[in-house]
Amino acid sequence: MEKRRAILIDIKRCIGCQQCEQACQQVHGFPVEHQAQLSATSLTYVDQKQDKFVRRMCLHCEEPACASACLVGALKKSALGPVTYDSKKCMGCRYCMIACPQGVPKYEWTKLAPYVKKCDMCYDRQVKGGQPACVEACPVQASVFGDRDALLKEAWERIRTDSSYVPRIYGTEEFGGTDVFYISDVAFEDLGFVKPVNGSQPLPTLSAAALGESPTVVLVGGSMLGALYWITQRKKQVALAELRETTEAQDKE
Amino acid sequence: MRRAMTNEKSEFRIFTFWRVVSTAILLAGTYGLYLRFVRGWQASTNLTDLQPWGLWVGFGTLCGVGLSAGGFAIAAAVYLLGMERYHPLVRPAVLLSFLGYSTVCIGMLYELGLPWRIWHPIIYWNGHSVLFDVSLCVMCYTSVLLLEFAPYAVEKLPMPRFRAWFLHWHHRMLIALVLAGVLLSSMHQSYLGGLFLIAKGKVYPLWYSPYLTTMFYLSAIPAGIAMLIIVLYLCVRSLNVKLEYSLLEDMSRVMGMLLGVYAIFRLLDLMKSGGIQYLFVRRTETAYFWLEIALLVIVPLFLLSQARVRHNPQMLYWTCAVVVMGFMANRLNVSITAIDAMTGAKYVPKWPEFALTGAVLTGAAIVFRLAVIYLDILPKKEETKPLRWVTVNSPAEA
Repeated sequence: MEKRRAILIDIKRCIGCQQCEQACQQVHGFPVEHQAQLSATSLTYVDQKQDKFVRRMCLHCEEPACASACLVGALKKSALGPVTYDSKKCMGCRYCMIACPQGVPKYEWTKLAPYVKKCDMCYDRQVKGGQPACVEACPVQASVFGDRDALLKEAWERIRTDSSYVPRIYGTEEFGGTDVFYISDVAFEDLGFVKPVNGSQPLPTLSAAALGESPTVVLVGGSMLGALYWITQRKKQVALAELRETTEAQDKE
Repeated sequence: MRRAMTNEKSEFRIFTFWRVVSTAILLAGTYGLYLRFVRGWQASTNLTDLQPWGLWVGFGTLCGVGLSAGGFAIAAAVYLLGMERYHPLVRPAVLLSFLGYSTVCIGMLYELGLPWRIWHPIIYWNGHSVLFDVSLCVMCYTSVLLLEFAPYAVEKLPMPRFRAWFLHWHHRMLIALVLAGVLLSSMHQSYLGGLFLIAKGKVYPLWYSPYLTTMFYLSAIPAGIAMLIIVLYLCVRSLNVKLEYSLLEDMSRVMGMLLGVYAIFRLLDLMKSGGIQYLFVRRTETAYFWLEIALLVIVPLFLLSQARVRHNPQMLYWTCAVVVMGFMANRLNVSITAIDAMTGAKYVPKWPEFALTGAVLTGAAIVFRLAVIYLDILPKKEETKPLRWVTVNSPAEA
């Protein structure tokens, strides 16, 4: 198996030049314009929080809620790390949009045959040995791409050698771990980061708990219903036999 | 007067109130369909990335499936629990559920972004997805309902040999169908609530609970019964059929009991999930919550406790209407109010969303009416049959 890749975003280093946004929009053929939110034509954007710049994008969860929710498996966690989207399978149910805690998947509401749009960490480029367009465009290495384990080491190294960093990596535990990490010199809570409601547990565990019960329900429920049916039939038979006996007895008299 | 004269030509009126209303709804729905498929999503809906489901899923699917729970409940009561008394209700209940699920399936055709791929779950599987399980169950159960309904139409076919063959086999597999129907229904009625489990953090805490599945199941059965009582009442009132009222009365007792059970579980659930802290928070969601609880639990339980309400068909009808409204409030609260509260969507449906849903429901009502008139769904009131041509089989009619 190939090693898992990841992106490290260093909020302290980001200068807010928006070149990542532009590179992303160019690669996807979207109109190149800054949008202050994720949208179907803006898969990453630089969010200004006070004097800090936070690049928002899909976090590529280790156990993505969107992929777990997708009923036809159009969204998938690839072995390389990116959560990819197979537009040929998608039927447009939009459950991924409900499931994603970050509201990452966006819909092409303006189109008659709309698809879901989300960052796939430039999966095709990765397969060919390249790196995501946004990372490539970053002039100050505020975004770095590479092997997940090596990047984690790099992140801890930056935190260790520079005491201004918050001693924490966002993405090691959140949503059960992600493949996009953030390090910052300002508390993440002040930068609009979502506090995962499910702690470090991946969200798909919540639905797995319910789905796991279904075989039991079918087996136990099925046999109980079958038993009820048998009892009902038996009662009917007994009643019929009794009726027959009494009528026969009456006939004899 | 009207009843006796139904076969007189002079009594036939083209413009009755309900014909005008349903035509208007159907026309609005047709225009909505044009908007949806020619002008697009933004002309026909107010759906956004923050509220991607809205009325079509919250009402069309969640309420459509939930209010169709009467079919499996009655079938289970009669065939599995041996409550033979309710046998006359099996046919209307199955028809109601079948048409209900049909509206859900038709709704999918405009609700999905790429509706020509509606069959995809048959070949692309994802066992981790609650929606996958829902879609397979709904597909299977709609087929089961079609099979349960089929004999009502087949027995009217002028093909005696096929008819006999079909009815023979149908009779032999009926129990299997009923059993499969109960299991499939129990699963997907619960899983519709399970859809929102993964969206923890995007569902306002008054409605989020790990037992959303149980809550959806427990509320669907009484709501399905309420819907059935409403439909039966309307049939008896407006169509040429008869029904023993005590059946409805007894059914409403069961419904009351089930609502009571639901109320207890809901309270326990609120205590366990922590939603109870939000009961009196000054927010609009709180008002929506209490509206739901009042309509679904408090008002109906009070009304059903009154003997004069249970004994009066019209009052029972309105009580059931309150239950159905409470049920709708619950489903819309989970799917719209609770999500909007967390994402800040401020979603209000655009009129074509209402129009399309309304048109599909109107279509189902028309089909139901025609089925009751032309098929043997409910026992017809005796009346002199109209004069027809003399045939070999029925010379007596002449």
